[in-house]
Amino acid sequence: MNMWRIAIKEWATLRDVKMIIMMLATPVLLILIMGTAFTNSFNGSATVGEIRVLYEAPDGEGALAEAWGRFIRDAEAGGVRFERGSGAEDGKLGVQNKAYTGYVEVTEAGLRYYGNNRSGIEDGIVQGLLAAFADRYKLAAEAAKDPSGPQIPAWPGGAGADYVQETAIDAPMQPRAIDYYAIAMTTLIVMYIALSAGLFIEDERKRNTAVRLLAAPISKMDIFAGKILGMLLANTASIIAVVLISKYMFGANWGDNLWMVFLVLTTQIAFALSLGIGVSYMLKSSAAGAVTMTIIQLVALFGGSYHRIADDGTWFSEVARYSPLRWTNDGLVHLIYSDSYATASIAMLINIGFSVLLLAVAVAALRRREGL
Amino acid sequence: MNVLQINQLTKKFGDFVAVDRLSLTIKEGEIFGLLGANGAGKSTVINMVASLLRVTGGEIELLGKNIAKHTKFAKSNIGIVPQELAIYEDMTACENVKFFAGLYGLRGKELRSRAEEALAFTGLSDKRDSYPRSFSGGMKRRLNIACAIAHRPKLIIMDEPTVGIDPQSRNYILNSVKKLNEMGSTIIYTSHYMEEVEELCTRIAIIDHGKIIAEGTKAQLKAIITNQKDIGIELRSAEGLQAEKLKRIAGVNTVMLEGNVLSIGSDAEVNNLSSILQELMASGMEIRSMAANEPNLETVFLTLTGRSLRD
Repeated sequence: MNMWRIAIKEWATLRDVKMIIMMLATPVLLILIMGTAFTNSFNGSATVGEIRVLYEAPDGEGALAEAWGRFIRDAEAGGVRFERGSGAEDGKLGVQNKAYTGYVEVTEAGLRYYGNNRSGIEDGIVQGLLAAFADRYKLAAEAAKDPSGPQIPAWPGGAGADYVQETAIDAPMQPRAIDYYAIAMTTLIVMYIALSAGLFIEDERKRNTAVRLLAAPISKMDIFAGKILGMLLANTASIIAVVLISKYMFGANWGDNLWMVFLVLTTQIAFALSLGIGVSYMLKSSAAGAVTMTIIQLVALFGGSYHRIADDGTWFSEVARYSPLRWTNDGLVHLIYSDSYATASIAMLINIGFSVLLLAVAVAALRRREGL
Repeated sequence: MNVLQINQLTKKFGDFVAVDRLSLTIKEGEIFGLLGANGAGKSTVINMVASLLRVTGGEIELLGKNIAKHTKFAKSNIGIVPQELAIYEDMTACENVKFFAGLYGLRGKELRSRAEEALAFTGLSDKRDSYPRSFSGGMKRRLNIACAIAHRPKLIIMDEPTVGIDPQSRNYILNSVKKLNEMGSTIIYTSHYMEEVEELCTRIAIIDHGKIIAEGTKAQLKAIITNQKDIGIELRSAEGLQAEKLKRIAGVNTVMLEGNVLSIGSDAEVNNLSSILQELMASGMEIRSMAANEPNLETVFLTLTGRSLRD
């Protein structure tokens, strides 16, 4: 009963309007800023600017001139403008000045293309088009050598300008930037709970209320457990609020099973609390805060809080496997996007396991200590 | 009936002996003054009685029960008013009192009525729903007391309850202590203000280096130094006074200066008044008045410990 009394007392801090604003605004703003700033990094498509290409090609009624003419008409219908140049020098200068994406010389001997590396996507599109034209023209020329065989038009023209088409079978849903950072920033903020947890007894000492608590006919364990329970409930409530705000204000995808998401986050809150408390009891000094902060920064860096980490076999991705944040983030991503409970369950078990271990260390230190 | 019985109490912090085989008895209905300079060991004694510190040796009995074996019983019957304010700024006055009283097992209507009673006793009823951050220093001190008495403890420990407050609040608190005592609580009172102790306490113990060096009523303590005389000399200005020279005069035991008033404790048998006056005049001091004072607790303390209570 006294444990609950102390736990409920911890809620008194939630009456502080400034504190509530800080607790909610910080993660919500981070989600918004990161989700907006990194939108392009998470998009499957990219916006392409105007594509203009200078060319030099033979005039007249030759097969090449005819095929090229049809090709550039088709290309223009697809948004790529080919303009006849006035010599190689001017053409290359136009490309250097970024007025044109590329310059191409068309001769019977082949195509010679000068592209601008700084227009990466546009340059790639032009190269793809030219390669398609060259292949087709070469095929038509080979076929023309044998008049008895089937004839292939050098460039058929008309509809059917889908030069490359990719179809994925059962493509998995991928998080957008706002979805990813809703998860990453929420779990990052949860880790920061460790800092305040490290001060949970120190605050009672500073206010001298530790004396009153210890003088009351309740056990140290009641005080300890009550404070942890109170902080767990208060922080869970604020994190649920952050999830709901990001979901309904920014449209972040938290999946269909919100209760499971809350459960995973609650176990992470328990882990963060235990980390802060465990370190503060192990070090018993002001260094505890600095150590906790360093741990948070490292698990955040390797946990994918600031950028998505690919499993590419680099040392960074190998180290990232051991970040507690990564476990929780992966668990949530699998839960939301694959409806898979397995990774989330493992994350919860690891969070709970470490919580028990760290709290056991703190309890052992508490029993030996005079006072809290 | 003995409310508190301390036998051979010892507390060590490493090699340092903070309390050294201290024995003490406090009877029901007493206001017991515990005097000692900073570091003398009185807070350590109080903390052991309140079960805040573990005992290294000896034992403490509250109402006849060993507190090491009956810790819950002992804690339930003790109310502590810590020297530093021990209240939550983010809870109202009433919530503070109810929270702490609740830890003593009070529930429901009883909890509410006891909390209101404690607030009324400390004159904070009209501030029950206000947050302590809006309180004056005196009001916070009163709330500090209210949090300690709502569960009606048999023994109340007050550690410097009037530090840093205005005279009006101080008088209020001193009257509250008397009232609590009249209502049946036994009180342990520590203070740096000797006049408070003289006014309130029925018995006093002087503690120094972890030991009780004197114990008794005010009259009994003053009787310890009947072989002392206390000479009070008011100077026009004490600038340039060399107390060390006065201490070297035969028979002089203590020299204390407060403002321009010089208090000299001397052996009653030694006739050294003319030597004292000569030394003062030689130092260029101008004497405004002079009197032979009755020994007070300050003199007693100074004589027994060799230092002022505020050292």
